[in-house]
Amino acid sequence: MSHVLLQVINLSKTYKDKNYWFNRKCVAALDPVSFDIMAHKTLAIVGETGSGKSTLARLLVGAELPTTGHIRLNGETFTPGDFKQRCQHVRMIFQDSGTTLNPSLTIEQLLDEPLQLNTDLDELERHQLIRETLKKVGLLAEHMSFYPHMFSGGQKQRISLARAIILKPQVIILDEALASLDPSLRSQMINLLLDLQQQMGLAFILISHNLGIVRHFSDEMMVLCNGKVLEFGKTAEILQKPKHKYTKKLIMSQRFQL
Amino acid sequence: MNLIDIRNLSIELQTSTKPILAVDRVNLTMKEGEVRGLVGESGSGKSLLAQAIVGVLDEKWKVDADRFHWRGNDLMRLSAEERKAIISKDVAMIFQEPMACLDPTTTIGEQLEEAVDVEQLTGFFWQKRQQRKLAAITLLHKVGIKQHEICVKSFPHQLTDALCQRVMIAMALARRPMLLIADEPTAAMESTNQGQIFRLLASLNQLKNMSILLISHDLENVTHWTNSITVMYSGQFVEAGTTEQIFNQPYHPYTRALVDSSPRANRTIPNKSRLMTLPGSIPILQHLPIGCRLGPRCPRAQQKCVHAPKIKNFHSHQVSCHFPLKDSYS
Amino acid sequence: MARDKIYQEEEFPTPLMQLWHNFKEPPVVMIGFGCFLFLIVLAVLATIITPYSSVENHLDHLLLPPAWSDDGNVSFLLGTDNLGRDMLSRLIHGTSLTFGLSIIVVMASLAIGVIIGSLSALTTGIKSSFLNHFLDVILSIPSLLLAIIIVAILGPGLENTVWAIIMVLIPQFVHITRNAVKEEFAKDYVLASRLDGASSLRILRYSIFPNIIEKLISQATLAQSAAILDIAALGFLGLGAPIPMPEWGAMLANGIELFYIAPWTVYLPGLAILFSVIATNLVGEGMRHALKVRKES
Repeated sequence: MSHVLLQVINLSKTYKDKNYWFNRKCVAALDPVSFDIMAHKTLAIVGETGSGKSTLARLLVGAELPTTGHIRLNGETFTPGDFKQRCQHVRMIFQDSGTTLNPSLTIEQLLDEPLQLNTDLDELERHQLIRETLKKVGLLAEHMSFYPHMFSGGQKQRISLARAIILKPQVIILDEALASLDPSLRSQMINLLLDLQQQMGLAFILISHNLGIVRHFSDEMMVLCNGKVLEFGKTAEILQKPKHKYTKKLIMSQRFQL
Repeated sequence: MNLIDIRNLSIELQTSTKPILAVDRVNLTMKEGEVRGLVGESGSGKSLLAQAIVGVLDEKWKVDADRFHWRGNDLMRLSAEERKAIISKDVAMIFQEPMACLDPTTTIGEQLEEAVDVEQLTGFFWQKRQQRKLAAITLLHKVGIKQHEICVKSFPHQLTDALCQRVMIAMALARRPMLLIADEPTAAMESTNQGQIFRLLASLNQLKNMSILLISHDLENVTHWTNSITVMYSGQFVEAGTTEQIFNQPYHPYTRALVDSSPRANRTIPNKSRLMTLPGSIPILQHLPIGCRLGPRCPRAQQKCVHAPKIKNFHSHQVSCHFPLKDSYS
Repeated sequence: MARDKIYQEEEFPTPLMQLWHNFKEPPVVMIGFGCFLFLIVLAVLATIITPYSSVENHLDHLLLPPAWSDDGNVSFLLGTDNLGRDMLSRLIHGTSLTFGLSIIVVMASLAIGVIIGSLSALTTGIKSSFLNHFLDVILSIPSLLLAIIIVAILGPGLENTVWAIIMVLIPQFVHITRNAVKEEFAKDYVLASRLDGASSLRILRYSIFPNIIEKLISQATLAQSAAILDIAALGFLGLGAPIPMPEWGAMLANGIELFYIAPWTVYLPGLAILFSVIATNLVGEGMRHALKVRKES
């Protein structure tokens, strides 16, 4: 049932330090990393700030160009810089729901934009698709004509989710999307994501530092520290028998017992 | 003797249409040397409650209580300024984002010296400057910053979040308060730093017998560091009791839902299964339900819940519900 | 029987309507806004509503004081000047010159400044810095002095005055636009648009401009009061509108010699300039206040 959906081969990113004119220092934000993601599975990427997890997320979604390596989806390689090809397959949900939605557009216009740019549907079909998507994430169709400032934090994250799934992608990246939500809303959002994963066969990449969510929601786990991959494997195994000192410290600090 | 004894505190917001009861008859009691957790999600009014205790709300909020005793003195009879004067001597508060609470244009040393209590300095006025510096360094040592030279000379943006929070705690300790209110002090931090701050607060509580009111939205985090917990929902008092009572035997459906959404409870359920949640979302201020505000979302709600529930007390475990879950445990 | 509305309906205004509600609130701002609209109406309908033409000489009514003094004549409501021209008609025509031209000047420099600022924000590195700063040399020279120099090179006349003032006002718009656009680029929804495959132009049009337009407008009202004063000052110096044209500054210059015998020829144009600058400033203040209130709520 699960086949390899996304293949990441030797992906890395180094930044040139702009402060020096001669003898430019290179900062390695992410060392070469390779992994595979299957459909219906979730990969969790754990690490503190500065560990390179945001860089990895941005490289996967195409917001930054990799220094080395490439990404393959279903055998096709992604061209770096070509957004139209990539956005149909890989989508991202951001952390701060306050700045992810354009405050001067209605929800309908917001969800219409990716459809206008990437599909050939006419207006009626787009309208219908927007209605269905809003229903799927648990909002009403009437919410289409509202502005973002009328919604609460949890609802804004659902709208971001709607924007992500409206193009029927295969991979969704959650960049700390659940961190800013209250615990009860977080549980609702996790239930919603699990349902969508079942229905649509999505693969999730969850970036988080909350080990509770990671343990419940993910199948495989990767621990990053200063751009290097410290551990990679099944979540249950890593959390029960952490090999690296850093992972042990992380588990201890969250008082996490399995 | 109770340090602080608040009964039926209500905070009303005067809007152009009609007044909104943001905090509806909440009780809070604390003893000396106790660490109490105040748990609630966003919109529960916990920060408003803390600000009302310290007395920093604007005129648009009207605070009213049946009883507001501080160390036995009745504060409701006094005017707002007198109340503030008494409270500000003995109560200190620290906030959520420490770097935003420090002045970005002056060094840490100068800000600490400003916070030092004038009455504790003795001597002639030319000696006071030296004493102020010494007092600032002592405060830094109290919060565990040993290398004070670097810290004193740096600006807030050069320090990490955890260090800034320690500096804030140091400034709060300057007047030797009896009660420290910590309004989500570690919300924006990594988990390793959170542990440091909580350990510091626990050691201050043990060494100086200082009471701490720890406000948070994360129930499980709070249970490791507190003796007793009060839970609030949407401005109403929900449940209060010792930590073991609240976490192991929650009587109110809302507390039960909070406990269910914590990682410790989810340890036992299988991977990638649905979590237990309450349907719906937190009501906004403009559309607050009448009676028990959990009513629309509560799975056990019935006709009676349209009226506000009275507080029931079972062996110092108080709950405000018409149909508490007590029976399901006995 | 119609059902009464039991539930209080909640209004959810768009961001623009919210801004308008906040703007309307202080009464002073509405008065200023009313005056501003009044001036615009005068400027547009000048030729239709004036009783006399602005250059017509009434030789039998020279230096007539305004109608409320004893020697005044009600058919010349605000008196006449030394060539027998009706002050009221001249003032109204002057509105379309001083005030109307100031609006045109501000709109032109806004358009040019926004284009340069956006280009500067879209590129990076040396090209961006160059676009941002090459007009800064204009900022270092006082605007009036620069206008005088330009007029000295190109020759006096209303057209050259307009070009001079446009050039003087552009750099501030370049800076404001560039900073605002750069700030917007850091926001996540712009990144989301870009990831959807939107071209830069589309991002500018839909994601960025609606959100920076208010900052631009409040800067434009600031620039407009400066423009009114500059046009009037150049007219006063004789470098702007030629003598028969009823520009307020030129009228002031004309009336200076007659100040002791006919003070109304000086204070009337002066009051007109004061009135228009105050109206513009009130509108600008109101806009900035409304923006601040909206951001806080």
